[in-house]
Amino acid sequence: MTHTQPFKVGVTLHSFTSDYISFRLSFEDMLEIAGRLGGGVEIVGPSHHRGFPEVSDEFERTFKSGVERYGLTPTAYGSYADPFMLPDRNLTADELFEYTVPQLKGAAKLGFPVVRLQYFAAVAAERLIPLAEKLNLQLGYELHAPLMIEAPETQELLAQITRLGSDRLGLIPDTSIFSRSVSQHHIDRARESGIPEEWIQRALGLWGERKYNEEQAVAILSAEGADRKMQSVLGSFWGTCGFSEPAALADIAPHIVHFHGKFYSIVNGDEPDLRYAEVVKTLLDIGYTGWLSSEYEGGPTDTFAVVQAHQAMVKRYISEHQGS
Amino acid sequence: MSNDNPRRGIERSFICDDAIRPVVRDGRPGYLIRVRLMSYRSLPLSCIEAIQLSLDGAPVAPERITFVLNGHGHKLSELGQLSRLWWFILDTADLFVASEAPLAPGEHAVEGTLVTVEPYVTGGRFSFYYPSTKRLGVAMEA
Repeated sequence: MTHTQPFKVGVTLHSFTSDYISFRLSFEDMLEIAGRLGGGVEIVGPSHHRGFPEVSDEFERTFKSGVERYGLTPTAYGSYADPFMLPDRNLTADELFEYTVPQLKGAAKLGFPVVRLQYFAAVAAERLIPLAEKLNLQLGYELHAPLMIEAPETQELLAQITRLGSDRLGLIPDTSIFSRSVSQHHIDRARESGIPEEWIQRALGLWGERKYNEEQAVAILSAEGADRKMQSVLGSFWGTCGFSEPAALADIAPHIVHFHGKFYSIVNGDEPDLRYAEVVKTLLDIGYTGWLSSEYEGGPTDTFAVVQAHQAMVKRYISEHQGS
Repeated sequence: MSNDNPRRGIERSFICDDAIRPVVRDGRPGYLIRVRLMSYRSLPLSCIEAIQLSLDGAPVAPERITFVLNGHGHKLSELGQLSRLWWFILDTADLFVASEAPLAPGEHAVEGTLVTVEPYVTGGRFSFYYPSTKRLGVAMEA
């Protein structure tokens, strides 16, 4: 199979979170860095601008001048559903709709072609599609662990996408669902939080069976005597590391509007816990030509260098597969 | 900017390193302790589940604490209703502690815990605890 135009590799500013929230990098610094990391830039609404869920004229000016100065391409805006923001009840479908509308308008105002939706926005999606058409936006549900491709929730989203039949509504797979193993980052965090090693090993063994969801795994651990903290910390192995088959991307190929290249570490040029070689191969095979955002979510490090290493890995897999 | 000249940045913790500031707020004497949001994103104040504070080992009653953001004060008991007021991720806030007795000069042990909800975690309203302990001096009265 030949590939004339592979997908493009950019970055989400979320990768620089540890530097941003500790004032080592300003928003503008991150735009400058994005210009040196492929130029495609994705932002996270409530992290990167004031006034969320609205986008102010002032931020529009700041962002667009950065885009111009550093030659950037806005790729995706991370919207939030935040259904649990109230202490006494969940947001209603009407409230989720009202909360999302200004986010879509803000994304369009900033020049983003794609808006990341969270799973919980599904109850408002049908009403958001006409607005997406008006604003020339594509909406995509993020498939982040635990939303594996095979998960019932994902299948419901797919059924809705099919039923609504609009190319304005699609999916944004995140590589967290294509884990080879529980990421070392999450294992380290479990150890730091004081979970006994035997429990960590038990959870890793269960995860390795690749047949339980978080609820089932926690039920097993609980029956074996895990306390609430163990259940919460060890359950996060399933909540953050999914075990979909990369080849299953072919099943959702027509719906992919953007892609999240989540990663936790690069060791000897590879992400040891995520199946990148197969993911990249499948993306090329299905002819995906959109953007992949490098999304670093490991511990504090030189975030520029680690994203650069991630992008070098993805590009190596692209060229290896194209040469094969 | 340049990557081989990294800026020093700040250490992140709920209780900031700033000295405790004696003030009179709305006619009440007391002091301010600077605090920071510990998420990676801005949150509406309704996502603050609790703020616990103790000074020199003695817990401060929540009724004595006013959460001050951008100059506006809110009782801790009111935060749950404030879903339209946002704490921007890069902004600090202050805890105003009403106190008739002035603070002794010198260092004080300040312990605080911020409990916030990340309002979108798949499993539901999930609380995160951010404990923080600092030894802070007292600033000159402004």
